[in-house]
Amino acid sequence: MTTPCTIELLAQPFEPLQALAAWQRQLRCGCEGPGTDRGDASRVEQACLPPAEAHFIGRVRATTASGAPLEALELEHYPGMTERQLVQLAEGCLQRHGVAAALVVHRVGRILPGEAIVLVAVAADRRGPAQRCGQELLEALKHEAPFWKREWSGGVGGWVEGNTAW
Amino acid sequence: MAIQVRLFASLRERAGWSERLVAVDGLPATPRSLWRQLHLSDGAEAGTGRAGQADALPQGIRVAINQAFAAPDTPLVDGDELAFLPPISGG
Repeated sequence: MTTPCTIELLAQPFEPLQALAAWQRQLRCGCEGPGTDRGDASRVEQACLPPAEAHFIGRVRATTASGAPLEALELEHYPGMTERQLVQLAEGCLQRHGVAAALVVHRVGRILPGEAIVLVAVAADRRGPAQRCGQELLEALKHEAPFWKREWSGGVGGWVEGNTAW
Repeated sequence: MAIQVRLFASLRERAGWSERLVAVDGLPATPRSLWRQLHLSDGAEAGTGRAGQADALPQGIRVAINQAFAAPDTPLVDGDELAFLPPISGG
């Protein structure tokens, strides 16, 4: 298996299911052992995937925190520190829950209502650790990774301080 | 010594700058002392109203030194990158 934590910050829209499929292909890499013929390869690779996965997709709401129509969300980050902090948070969660791998994809820049803003996925041996790790990692990145949201509504931008209700 | 100071999001817009090389002489510098030296509380809506507190580092502002979270009283050394971070809102 390749590196257990995959972190991606994207300035363009992404399709979460395609990102998940790419991550699963990455998890399968290296599963094919010597002497495996091509006919067996896909079965071997499939069997290499951890048996439990938990996924979370977050999308931009259509309204601001005060209920006004949202034109767009702007997401600022601290280049370098944000990536490093996400890796540290993911590695800590993986160790605490004893899970195999984690994926975090996060948008930056201007994001439209309905677009995916965050994808968190965890692969583990059991559903309990997978779901607990995914939940903890999501909450950790919301509070401990340097991102700042600005809501645009009616041509006016306002910084969001704090997170939405759980 | 010289410290590279960076501001983000609402703090950057309130101060009107995002990055500045700040010369520090004399006493050991900390993030808290640089916050005062740079008058970064200027323009804040919520003042404490207490004498001597106007330049205090507000509770919700976090500090990073060389791109890692740090305590506001951590001594700075020449060449450090110091960032003041408003409340985080990711995910």
